[in-house]
Parts: sequence; structure tokens; C-alpha cells
Amino acid sequence: MSTPPLPPAAALAPPLWQRLNRREFWVLALLAATVAAVSAKNPGFCQLSNIRNMLVNAAPTTIVACGLTLVIVTGEIDISVGSLMGFLAAVLGATSSSVHMGWPAAYSVVLVLALGMAVGCLNGLLVTLGRVPSIVVTLGMMMALLGVTKLFLSGYDDSIDVSKCAPALRWLDRGAVLSIPAAVCIALAVIAGSAFLVYMLPLGRRIYAVGSNPRAAFLAGLSQQRIKLFVFTLTGLLVGLATLVRVPQLAKVESSIGQGLELLVVTCVVVGGTSISGGKGTLCGSVLAVLLLSSIGSVLLFLRLSESATYWEQAIQGAFILAAVLADHLARRRHGQEEGA
Amino acid sequence: MTQYSVFSTRYLLLLAILAGCGGERAGGPAGSAKATGAGVQAQKRITVALLPKRKGVPYFTSCAEGAQEAAKELGDVELIYDGPTDGSATASADMIDRWVQKKVDVIAVSPNNPDVLAAAMKKARDKGLHVISWDADARPETREFFVNQATAQNIGCALVDTMAKDIGGEGEVAILSATAAAANQNEWMKYMKERLAEKYSKVQLIDTKYPGEDQNEALKLAQGFISDRPSLKGIFGISSMAFPAAAKAVRDAGRSGKIMVTGLSTPNDMKEFVKDGTVKSVILWNTRDLGYLTVYAAHALAKGELKAGDKTLQAGRLGEKTISGDNILLGDILVFTKENIDKFDF
Amino acid sequence: MTVPPGDTATRSRRCHGILAVRGLLDFPYWHELVLVMLLAALMLWARWQAPDFVTWETQLDLSTHIWELALMCLPMTLIIITAGIDLSVGSIMALSAVILGTAYLRWDVPIGLAAVLALLTGAAAGALNGVFVAWVRVHPLIVTLATLAAYYGTAVGISHGMPLSNYPESFRLIGGGSLCGLPIAGLLCAAAALFSAVVLSQTAFGQALYAIGHNETAVRFSGISVARIKLLLYTCSGLAAGLSALLFVGRRNTANTDIGTGISLDVITAVVLGGTSIFGGRGRILGTLLGIALIHETREFVSWHWSKAELNLIVIGALLIVSVLLNSLLSARRRLREY
Repeated sequence: MSTPPLPPAAALAPPLWQRLNRREFWVLALLAATVAAVSAKNPGFCQLSNIRNMLVNAAPTTIVACGLTLVIVTGEIDISVGSLMGFLAAVLGATSSSVHMGWPAAYSVVLVLALGMAVGCLNGLLVTLGRVPSIVVTLGMMMALLGVTKLFLSGYDDSIDVSKCAPALRWLDRGAVLSIPAAVCIALAVIAGSAFLVYMLPLGRRIYAVGSNPRAAFLAGLSQQRIKLFVFTLTGLLVGLATLVRVPQLAKVESSIGQGLELLVVTCVVVGGTSISGGKGTLCGSVLAVLLLSSIGSVLLFLRLSESATYWEQAIQGAFILAAVLADHLARRRHGQEEGA
Repeated sequence: MTQYSVFSTRYLLLLAILAGCGGERAGGPAGSAKATGAGVQAQKRITVALLPKRKGVPYFTSCAEGAQEAAKELGDVELIYDGPTDGSATASADMIDRWVQKKVDVIAVSPNNPDVLAAAMKKARDKGLHVISWDADARPETREFFVNQATAQNIGCALVDTMAKDIGGEGEVAILSATAAAANQNEWMKYMKERLAEKYSKVQLIDTKYPGEDQNEALKLAQGFISDRPSLKGIFGISSMAFPAAAKAVRDAGRSGKIMVTGLSTPNDMKEFVKDGTVKSVILWNTRDLGYLTVYAAHALAKGELKAGDKTLQAGRLGEKTISGDNILLGDILVFTKENIDKFDF
Repeated sequence: MTVPPGDTATRSRRCHGILAVRGLLDFPYWHELVLVMLLAALMLWARWQAPDFVTWETQLDLSTHIWELALMCLPMTLIIITAGIDLSVGSIMALSAVILGTAYLRWDVPIGLAAVLALLTGAAAGALNGVFVAWVRVHPLIVTLATLAAYYGTAVGISHGMPLSNYPESFRLIGGGSLCGLPIAGLLCAAAALFSAVVLSQTAFGQALYAIGHNETAVRFSGISVARIKLLLYTCSGLAAGLSALLFVGRRNTANTDIGTGISLDVITAVVLGGTSIFGGRGRILGTLLGIALIHETREFVSWHWSKAELNLIVIGALLIVSVLLNSLLSARRRLREY
């Protein structure tokens, strides 16, 4: 039995416009358009100092978004990342502050990363072995961690001065490598590491497999439990790293650090093209979406809107997300794919 | 899978258990009367419930420390210090309801939203509890006295005067507040704008932003101000999150001394910035004394020593405090500068 | 994995040894029983530690804190049974309250009409959610995450963050008044709960909800209009949020944007605590009511006895995880379906 000859490879590739019609390109285009529009109105927006500030500020969110993308790709979700950041910030402050425990920076860093991984691992265990839905686990964890953080900080008069913390940590805020700020370097390293994980290691393929078709993955011999445990632990570790980057940027450690982070990151990940039901999504899209959504605050500032306009900021953000999701959905419908339910 | 009808025996069994719980509660009053009877001691302790706007903020924690000091000095005061950790007015109102049921003697409220708390405070007064306000005033008909550290007008004027002095009487300034709905901040801003219009025509207020309770957001906005407005001379950080964030932004941008930052904060939070010159003056008042005075006032009220129409109040180590109308005045605003900031630890 | 032969009861016996007392694992009210026991244990302990807490008077007074939450939990139960979710209820509540206040105080609309406007706002907001979920077919988590911000922002935009206070006495009676010693809001909730329970367990509509939660595609193919059902559910959720706003404003005599902040997660916690599976297909109004009661009593007692608001968060978070964990461990049927 002979099969008919295959047409040449070039003819099989989808037309250029279809290849470009991916979420990542839309987000990039929107980002570019926004930057261009605001810079036109107010050239101060594309000053080096402003760009630097925006990137440094977006760095912790980007780090967490890398981890959360993988979690969502496996079909789970983690909304405890914000409270975890607050908790780890409190631990970092208390251990490294010269007024309190005064540990050397290295020990504090290790403790923070280890605690982050531990909490992530706990989330993972409850989801895999306990078979508790991830949204429930992380919702409960979010509340519990917030309470623990507040109780913990109340023993330190509710705020810890960051300037008293180990000077070595200051490098994460002020330092630079080849004139790229340290925070951005770390974020780039995390993105590179995650990309390596996803595209070069078999583990990356397995993560996508578990998310897109759990039954098939099981039949193929993949351990859903181990993979999900891994992504949760990784996210915990990345939250620890993000905390190390975020805390030196601030002036004081208090319990509201990280609040709202989970909402922002989940929004970024979804706007970036990751499907909430799992199996689909790229790191690139998430990172671009983080840049886009983090810049909204600055955009509105530089647009110099009237006083009453500031009251509508949040409404604009919400409407924007809705529009982004709607646009994506209509685009997918035209190509016969269906998202979600 | 069998269908379980609403009227199945198991469902009725559950209802019976629930009814039993209800019965438990109905049997309560007799039991509780006995318990409180047995609890009466030789010296009646006065329970004072101190409600901050938000629990877990250094400002209020230092007030609580002063309050605890007063409670210990007085000896017969049982102090409850609790408040919403998220600053929610609804949670505050719920707490007041609980204290009413618990029958405390005095509730001292720092209202985060006078309107939301008004109904609960009024109910407390109707039930015979004493209600006073401290730190921020509630609606006059809902409280008997207001322990006032400084009027909103004093605060607004002090902020503007300090800034004007620091920047040399002319230039552009911006304000970083808390949330758009924050009553205190809005009142201060009202007086600030009045003062600017009346005395400092050369100082121009160019923008006001609301970072909420988010330090990171305040930092972003402050950085935005610095980048966007090269001619900016001063930033007001009028909340506990905005002030340190603004100072840090100015320092990080290397503009310490060129952009002046002032605002309201506890001295500990700003010590570092004052020492390195980023901030010249920090405005506040002695929060420990405020808490101390509040407990003394509550104690006097509960014991009947403080009545409407009194002109003075004896407040322990603070001496005699003046009462103007129904405002018990703590005293003046404190300005912390490099010279005196080390004397304070809160 | 091959499924052992025999009916459910026989399989239970063969697979689960000691626990397979005939029919024990088939008892459908396990979760509710655990909740009742927890509640009873809490009340007994409270009675021992602080007798004043367990009086009828105290409980009645404190119960006013919970009616708004309870009202929103009812449609939320139905939504979660269909494997959906609605994070925006808090924002819809805030928006309705702001519309009520703005209409009555700024536009001089009579209070009755203003209340109707507020309810319509809630329903419309819910309907918008429903349209996105049902027709545009975006995942409800995403839609309601976006509308959470959008509606809250709109409320802030309209009210400029300012509170809107002072409503007529007659209006306040609805939220805060009593009828024969029982709070009107409570009676309203009880009626709504009864109605929801009957709809869910006795009607075809209720059965359809469970079916959608189990296998939406099958239901779609069987001719039932899933889109219309979802639209109705989300609209009801918005309407309930609007009604809760009216109750709140009536009770506290003020409307502002902070009203609903954070309440969405409380609602979901109560519903999930009550035994409704977040994946859909399982859940009961009775469970939800018990969940609400447990959260309420826990929160009130922790605040009453220890005066530490931080403890509340830890206790409720732990309660949520432990209860669902217990439920999942006891749920044999799910194990049999796992691969």
C-alpha cells in the first residue's frame, strides 16, 4: 500500500496573516500602540528613567506570572500568591532587619525561598493528594496566610523599616548589571529559565500534555500528580524570588504588600493568551500582558487626564480586560475554535 | 441513584438536630444571668473598647500602646483593642454591634466612615453605653465627646505651611492621598487647597492621585510625578503608605533636597529619610498621648466624673486638658525634624 | 483500571473494607452532618466560654450582619452547581448601592423608584455577565474578574468615592426593621432560601442545573437551552446583589463603594464550605445555609472572645480547606470514578 506523495512543506504552512493572528502579536501591537499614543501626547513617557521605573516595577509581577502561567496551563489556579508574597515579605523583614533578628542576607534569602517552596508544595499536595480543587485550596491558603502575616507583623509594631534590612539586599533595588537594573536582570533570568524549561526540557511538554488532555496524559504514563506538584512548588519559589525583588523597592514592610497581586497576575496570564481550562498558553504572551497591564497606571498618569477622570481608572482597566478577552474570543470563534466551557 | 425527597427521614433527622441547637440557645438567658452574677467582683472593672480605623497600622498601634499605659495606670480598666484589619467600615460597625451585645461600658471609635458607623453608634447610645470618638470625629449626635488631637484645618494648614517654607514659597506641588473615599484625607485636602489659595498664590497644586492603601502603587505614582513633571518642587504624602513611598521615590531618583516631601507619618517610619535629608519635616502629634487621653476620658465618663458642659479633664501624666464644647483637646501638632526626631519612638 | 463487577453497594464493600457498611458511603448528607456537628461543637464551646454569646438576643442582633451575604449565596450556589462562578457580586452590590444613593440624593428620584432602579442595575449587571458567559462563551472566572473591576470602577466614577447617606425612615425599615421580633431581612432570606431549595430539588429546572454541571455538552445536545439558563442564573445573581445592597443601605443608612469589597470571596467560601463542588454537579441549599451559619458564628465568636480580627482570617481559611479535604476523603464515589 503506498501513500500519495505529500505536498512540499511550504504549502502546508498556514498563510502569514494566520500565523501572525496569535494573541501574543495582538498584545505586542497593543503595547506598542499605547506607548506610541501616550508618547505622542506626552514625550516624557518614553524617557529612559520612566521606562526603567516601569520595568523595575513590573519585574516581580513578571516573575510570578511565569510560574502562574504554568499552573494555569496544567488546568489549576493559584490565587494565594499575593498573600504568600506578603507573608514572605514579613519574614524577610523580620529576619534581616538589624533592629530585629539581624540575620545575614544570605540566610534570610534562603529562608524566604525555602518557605515559598514549602507553601507552594503544600498547595500542590492538597490539590493532588487531597483532591481539593485548587481554587478552594488557594482561597483558603490566601486567607490563612493573610491572617498569619498580620498576626506576625503585629509583634513587630506592624511595620518594618526596609532601610534597616541587610545592605546586601539593597543591591536588588539599586544595583545593575551592564546598566540593566538588578530587578530586571532577575526577571529576565527567570523568563529565560522558564522558557528553557518549557521548550527544551521534556517536562515542559508534559506540563502542556497534562493540561490539554489529562486522560490522554494518564494513558501515556504521565504522573499528573507529580507534574502539578512541581508547578505549584515552582510558583511558590518564584513568589519568594519576586518578594526578594519587591521588598527592597519599598520603604517599609507591612501586611498589605502583595495584596491584589493574584488578580493582576491571573488577568495578565489570561489576557496573554493562556486558556483558563488549561493546555494552551505561552510565556511570551504572559510577559507581554504584564508589561501592558502594569503600564496602565503610568499611562493614565502621563495622559494628564482631568481630576474626575482618575475616579474612572479602575472602570477603564476592567473594561479593557473585557475588551481584550472579547476580542480574543471573537477571533477564535472565526477560526472555529471554542474556549472554556 | 435513588432520589432523596425533601421529606425523607434523614432530612427530618437533620432538622431535629438543628432544632436542638436552637433549643440550646433559648436556654441561654437563664444560664448567662447566673454567670454574670457569679462574675461580679468587689471592684467593678470598666470595660473600654478602643476601635481604630484600621488595625495593624503603626499609627494606631502606637495609640494603643498609650491606651494600654493609661489602662495600667488606672488599674480598673479592661481595655479591648480591636479593629478591622482591612479598614472596612462595615466590619467596624459589626464590631460595635458585638460590643453592644457584650455590654461594654465605653466604646471609643475612630470612624473610618462616620456615615456607615452612625447607625451602630446611635444604637449603642440608645442601649445605654457611653460612646466617644477619637482621632477623627463622628457625627455629633452619635457620640458624647470627641478626643481631638488637632482639627482638620490645623492639619491642612500645617502641611501647606511646612511645604511652602521648605520649597521657598513658590513652585509646583502634587498630592498623594489614600483612596478617593477616605474622609480624613479629603477633609485635609479641602483645607490645604483653601490655605494655598489664601496665602500661597505662587505655589501651584498640579495633580492629586489616589494610590489606595498600596505602597507599591504610591511608589509608581510618585515616580511618575518625578518623571513627568521636571519642575515639580514638592510632594505631599498624606497617608501612611504614600509618605514613605514618595520619599523613597525622590531619593531613588537622586532628587533629595530638590523635591521636598512632607506629610503625616509616625516618626519611626520616616526617621531614615529625615536623617538623610530627603524629608525636612514630618507632621503628626503624639499618638501615644492620644490613646492615653482617650482611655482617661473614657474612664472618667464611665465613672461619672466627666459630664457634658465640663471645661477641663484631669488626665494622669498629661495634667489638665481643656475641653472646648464637646472636644477634649490633646494639644498641638508636632513637627518632627532632624533635631528632635530621635526623641520619639513610635 | 477495570471497574470491579457488581452494583455500587457491592463495589463499596469490595473496595473499602471496614468503611463499607452497607449504604454508609451512600449517605448523601455526610457533608451537612459534619457541618452540623462543627456548628454544634462551636456553640457548646461558646456557651461554656462566653455564655452571653449564646443568648437569643445576642444571636438575633448579630444575625443582621449576615443577611446580605446569605441572600447572595443562594444564586451563587446555583451558579457553582453549573460549574460557573461569579466574582463580581460584591462590585454589583456596590454599584447598585451607589445608583440608589445617587438617584435618591442627587437626582431627586422618589425612594421607591430609586430602589427599583438599583434592582434593575443589579439585574442588568448580572445579565451582562450572563451574556458574556452564555453567548460569547468566555470562562466565567475571566468575565466576572473583569466585571469585578469594571463595575467597581463605575461605582467609584459615579460617586467620586463619596458616601451617600440619609434615607427615609420607611426605607430603612426594610433593612433594619423587625416583624414579630424577627428581622425582615432574615425573613426575606428564609423565603428566598426555601424557594431556591424547592426549585433546585423539586423542579426540572433544578435537575437541569445539576446536569449542566456534570456534562454541559450532553445537556446542550438534549435540546435544553443552556445559554438561557445561564443568563437567567447570572441575572438572578446580579438581582440578589442589588437586593442585598438595598438591605445594607437600609440597615446602615449609607451607600458607598466600599460596601461589597471582599464579599465575593466570602460568598464563594460559604457556598464551597456548604458542600457544593466547585467543579459543578453537586450541592445543596441546605449545605450552603449551614456553611453561612458556620462562617458567621465562627467569625462572631472569634471576634467576641479573642478580639483579634486577624484570627478570623486564619480560622476561616483553615476551615475551608479542612472541610473540603474531609469531604473529598469521604467521598467514595469520586474515587471510583478516578482513573
